[in-house]
Amino acid sequence: MSMSAPVLEVERLRVHYLTRFGTRVQAVDDVSFQLNKGEILGIAGESGCGKTTLVSGCMGLFIPPLYHSSGDVRIGGQSIIGMDREQIRRDVLGRKIAMIPQGALNSLNPTRRVKDLATDMIVSHDDRAGKREISERLRERFERIGLDAKRVLDAFPVELPAGTKQRVVIGISTLLNPELVIADEPTSALDVSTQKSVIRLLFDLMDRGIISSMIFITHELPLLRHVSSSIAVMYAGEFVEYGSTEQVIFDAQQPYTRALMGSMLSADAGQRGKKPVAIEGAPPDLKNVIVGCRFAERCPSVRSDCAQHKQELRVVQLRKVRCQYA
Amino acid sequence: MLKRLLRSPSFLFGFTLFFGTLLLALLGPLVLSLDVEQRVGLAYTAPFPGHWLGTDHMGIDMFSLLLQGLRASLYVGLVAGTVATLLGTLIGLYGGYKGGLVDDLLTSVTNLFLVIPTLIVLILLSASLEEGRSLSLIALLIGCTTWTWTARAVRAQAASLRARDHVALARINGFGTAHIVLLHIMPYLLSYIFMVFILQTASGILAEASISLLGLGPYDSISLGKILNEAVQNEALTDGAWWAFAPATLLITVIAFSLYIINTSMESVFNPRLRR
Amino acid sequence: MDWLRHHPTLRHMIARAGWYLLTFLVAVTINFVLPRLGDASPVGVLMARASMNLDSATARQQEEAYLAEFGLVHVDDKGQLVRDAAGKPVPTSLGAQFARYLSLSLRGDLGTSILQYPRRVSEIIRLALPWTLCLQLPTIIIGWVVGNLLGALAAYYRGVFDRLFYPLALLTSAVPAFCLGIMMVYLFGIRLEWFPAVGGYDDGMVPALSWAFLRSASYYYVLPFFSILVIVVGHQAIGMRSMCIYELGTDYVKYAKLLGIHERKILLYMFRNAMLPQLTGLALALGGMVGGALITEIIFSYPGLGQAILTAIQGNDYPLISGCTLLITVSVLIANFFVDVLISLLDPRVRASQVSTR
Repeated sequence: MSMSAPVLEVERLRVHYLTRFGTRVQAVDDVSFQLNKGEILGIAGESGCGKTTLVSGCMGLFIPPLYHSSGDVRIGGQSIIGMDREQIRRDVLGRKIAMIPQGALNSLNPTRRVKDLATDMIVSHDDRAGKREISERLRERFERIGLDAKRVLDAFPVELPAGTKQRVVIGISTLLNPELVIADEPTSALDVSTQKSVIRLLFDLMDRGIISSMIFITHELPLLRHVSSSIAVMYAGEFVEYGSTEQVIFDAQQPYTRALMGSMLSADAGQRGKKPVAIEGAPPDLKNVIVGCRFAERCPSVRSDCAQHKQELRVVQLRKVRCQYA
Repeated sequence: MLKRLLRSPSFLFGFTLFFGTLLLALLGPLVLSLDVEQRVGLAYTAPFPGHWLGTDHMGIDMFSLLLQGLRASLYVGLVAGTVATLLGTLIGLYGGYKGGLVDDLLTSVTNLFLVIPTLIVLILLSASLEEGRSLSLIALLIGCTTWTWTARAVRAQAASLRARDHVALARINGFGTAHIVLLHIMPYLLSYIFMVFILQTASGILAEASISLLGLGPYDSISLGKILNEAVQNEALTDGAWWAFAPATLLITVIAFSLYIINTSMESVFNPRLRR
Repeated sequence: MDWLRHHPTLRHMIARAGWYLLTFLVAVTINFVLPRLGDASPVGVLMARASMNLDSATARQQEEAYLAEFGLVHVDDKGQLVRDAAGKPVPTSLGAQFARYLSLSLRGDLGTSILQYPRRVSEIIRLALPWTLCLQLPTIIIGWVVGNLLGALAAYYRGVFDRLFYPLALLTSAVPAFCLGIMMVYLFGIRLEWFPAVGGYDDGMVPALSWAFLRSASYYYVLPFFSILVIVVGHQAIGMRSMCIYELGTDYVKYAKLLGIHERKILLYMFRNAMLPQLTGLALALGGMVGGALITEIIFSYPGLGQAILTAIQGNDYPLISGCTLLITVSVLIANFFVDVLISLLDPRVRASQVSTR
């Protein structure tokens, strides 16, 4: 594995799933990006735009009804497309890439103690580890992330408060020191102060070298201002704007990004007092093949020929934008 | 939603079966001449022209008896089902919505009757009634003893609906209990209540058959269960007189089966989680 | 009672035990009251049989003996009837009769059968019960194990197996048990004559622990056994299948997959979580096994509790009916209580809610 290879490289990835009637829905359509060590990429978009499907694909989790259509995904320079399931389970999942899923609070098996679940995870990747070694490791790691290890490890999930559960999930996911952590809406079910502490925890893990890069998924674009170094805005299965955080948040060029920023409440200075404006309408149904711009129906600055021409990503003001009129 | 139901093959299958049986029960006596009084042959005569199902132990036309029995059993099932559904729904709704002490009380009562086996209560009740057992009374008895399951299920639904915003809004606005329950909670439960009704009808028919097989059936009319009881008592089973019990058995099976299929298919349509 | 506060589970169990005691009292009351609603007095029936050749004095003595035996009149410590001013025996109140019934039942004395006088009800039940238990216990346990396995397999592997299996299981679980019994009796017993149609053993044989008897009895055992087994398997399979399908779709299974946990461990999770309700189902089925096969036994003329109740009903033998129904109810109550206790010990979610109340 070469040192210069990016942690994650996605090249023209297309992922589809089949509905129970056999209809094909192209959930991710031609997405490319690169993530290097130490970087944090934020992916923002409405629910259903394909964010979760995209990252499932990045982990190699093509489980029916989800299928890989075309494109490549490389981790540390090595392609994971075509790897068999067992190899992905053993080498990729939890080891190279870890995901902290949406709805993490329900992610812990209610009938299993925290320490047993964590042990299962370690043992599934390294069956030579001894019991005492494992419990030492667990205790140490849980203490490091600020949890009362003795109490939490022995507990059942139902006995723990929401904030603790979130930390436990983060702790278990990162047990094997994965290079990349994908956090899928890690803050959406939490109150503001817990949100802040979760984000702080993630940064802390990065600082300590436990994880080296992160993809942070959210539907709240302004949240990424203090989190990521670059942002990709996703809509209807495509990236519509991809650039550095400053560019995307303060100087959005794509109409959708602008609309998204305008529809959010933000507590940051300079943004208070702004009235949020909702985006009318709903995202297009991806069962049908869409010819022109996917945002055309709802775009506030739509022009007459937007719906006819397929929109490609072009470089506008040092970032990628998918709009011919940006 | 209804369209999705109509597209489900299992629903159509179950529904056609049940509807066919219903038609047979309703139209049969009008189209075919039935006679359950007159002896048309010797005891347990095999089928012969004019009497497709032979005769029973008294020499009476089996086919007529079967159709009569079908009507009676369906009647009991539907009446018992209605009574049980009504009782269970009312109790469940009231307890689930009110919560608190009322709910605790109703739940305790429900659990009490839930735990004591229904067949046992039915046996005891029917045995104590001796000669007074008419078809309607039996239907009423079955309805009054099998409502507990419905009550518990409806209560759970009502209790969860109670937490919804529009209900809270209605309460704040000062609407009365009856108004809220009827207009804000019931509409969401209609499909559920209908499914419950189907199951209660099926269990009502089976309860009647069980009770009749034990010899505690209606004394004034013939039902499918009673046909079976007479077949067992008069050793039609061992004599091989299949016409005396096979059609009745088949009918009971078909009715119960079709109702269960309808219920299962409705469940998979209305409950998305099982839909894969 | 301070230590009670520190053991919420124990507190819960005591509360449940109390509730079940209350339910037991209600059940006993129902068992007592209902048969007495009719006006057939056991003494009247017995007198009708016995008084044919007796003169009036002996008849009166016999009647008084019966009245005393059934607790319908007061008896003093020496066993003599208590008489009022006119010399007639004093009838006991309904309340006193109930108290007597309750205390006798708790001691296992269920009275005397009217139809089969002077046989004791408990003796009749004692002879019939083993047949019922032998029929029910194996079918419930084997059916439970096989059904759950098949259901779990169908849920996990889906595909062709599931598509074939599911309708079949649905069919067998929707067919009423006695209907299947009738069909099997006719097909295998009468038509094909593979197995005997009715009875528990060959005519003329006396129940004994001999090889000949056991061989004969097992021959008669096959049809009723399978008629119940098929239904149990179908029923369990359907339940387990939907439980497993639900579990497989939960967030925690998805998370376990994300973590890269072994497939077989995830299967274990699914199994264990789906098992809990199935276990309670097993316990409840075992509790109901005494009264669960009544109709099937009647159809096969199997000498179990079902036959006993049938003859009791036909002969208006109230003590026997009451005795059987009480036994059935009590076993269901015990099973339910046991399940309550089991769940509160095994399911961490229930334990947590116990701690939080109060």
